Formats: sequence, C-alpha cells, structure tokens
Amino acid sequence: MKMGVMLLEGPYQHQAADSAYHFVQAARARGHEIVGIFLYTDAVNNINQFISPPGERNIAARFDELAEQGIPVIACTACAKFRGLRPNLKTEHTRLSGLGSLAEYLRTTDRFVTFGD
Amino acid sequence: MSEVAVLMRKAPYGTVYTAEGFRTLMGIAVFEMEISVVFVDDGVYALVAGQAPGKLDMKPLGDAFPMLSEFGVTDFYVHDESLQERGLTADDLVMDVTIVDSAQVAHILESAGKVLPF
Repeated sequence: MKMGVMLLEGPYQHQAADSAYHFVQAARARGHEIVGIFLYTDAVNNINQFISPPGERNIAARFDELAEQGIPVIACTACAKFRGLRPNLKTEHTRLSGLGSLAEYLRTTDRFVTFGD
Repeated sequence: MSEVAVLMRKAPYGTVYTAEGFRTLMGIAVFEMEISVVFVDDGVYALVAGQAPGKLDMKPLGDAFPMLSEFGVTDFYVHDESLQERGLTADDLVMDVTIVDSAQVAHILESAGKVLPF
C-alpha cells in the first residue's frame, strides 16, 4: 500500500515525532511504500542538523536517514521561515518545499496518516 | 464523498493549529481537490462572528473562512453538540454552514479519502 505521513510537532516535546518515525519503519517492514513525509508547523525543527541530544536518540538523524534511504522528507518552507530554520541549518538529505508536496501525497497515496498533538 | 476532509478541533488563537488548517486549505484547494471542512469541539470557535484578536497582534481567522469559496471550498460542516456545549447556535457563525450531528461527522470522516486533523 502507498502511504503518506504528516507530522505537526517538533522533536522531544511530544511523542509525535517518534511515533511518526516508528510508524514509517513498521510500515516499511510490512512491505508498504512511504511516498513521503511532510513536516508541517513545529515539525520543521526535526530537520535541524545541529540537534545533538547527549546520550539520547537523535530524532533529526533518524529523519535524515529515512531521507537518505530514498523517502522524501519535506519540511514546509514557510514554517521554516517562521522558525528561523534557514536552509543551511537543515540535515543533508531532507528538503524544504511547499504545500504542493502535501497535496501530491494526498493525491498519490492509499492511506495518509497525521501525527500531532 | 470528498477527497480530503480537514478537521478543525481547536480554538483559533491559543495554538497555531486552526490557522495552519486554514493555510493548508488554501494550499491544497489550488490543486482542485474536493474538500470538506469539519468543525468540532473548540474548533467551532473558529467560525464565531465578531472575533477581534488585535490585542494579540493576530488577524481575525473567522473572516478568512468565507473567502475559501473563491477557491472552490464550499462544504463546511459544524458539529451541533459542540455548538450547544458552548452556548452557540448557527446564528453566531460568520457564514452559512451545514449543521451535523455526531453520526454525520463520523460518516463524513469515514467516507473522505483522507482526513487531515488540526
């Protein structure tokens, strides 16, 4: 099945970012295709390359790994501007784009799952 | 049957969710999707007339929703019980909407291709 994911929360404050990551891993393990992950509102903070949690899971690195493995991880450009997340701060394989990406995932997936508060 | 149902659950100014739900509506409507907008719980406050959030340095969100018809978004549903619990009626809202009960809300969400909760 083709699936899309939207995340609405940043790292560490809410479980949503972890849940989205684990959902994607579980879905892929069962043979589903993740067409894209759209990071909206505070979720754009999950692609800050300078996130470095001492002794804890690195959520930014996790999403970057998913992107490196070929899953588009797209953070909302406007949301990034609101939060001072300049393009040079982002992790290597993630991208900034607009709501057109969200519309595309809504159009091209069988299921679309949102993780938020 | 809509392609996408956007679900508004939260009050308009305490968090960014409703405003971002509106922005999402604008953003995906231009791709000519069939969209339903459903207001439940504190989300019904987003449509109450006379919002004046100027002292918060914010713009009135209620006034924005009627403009969505220009982008082809015309199916607005408001949950009756959520209105009643807050002492509101359809007359308090900025626009004409379809008032629906809980079973109808469930049906709209179930029959929509995708649901975006805010």
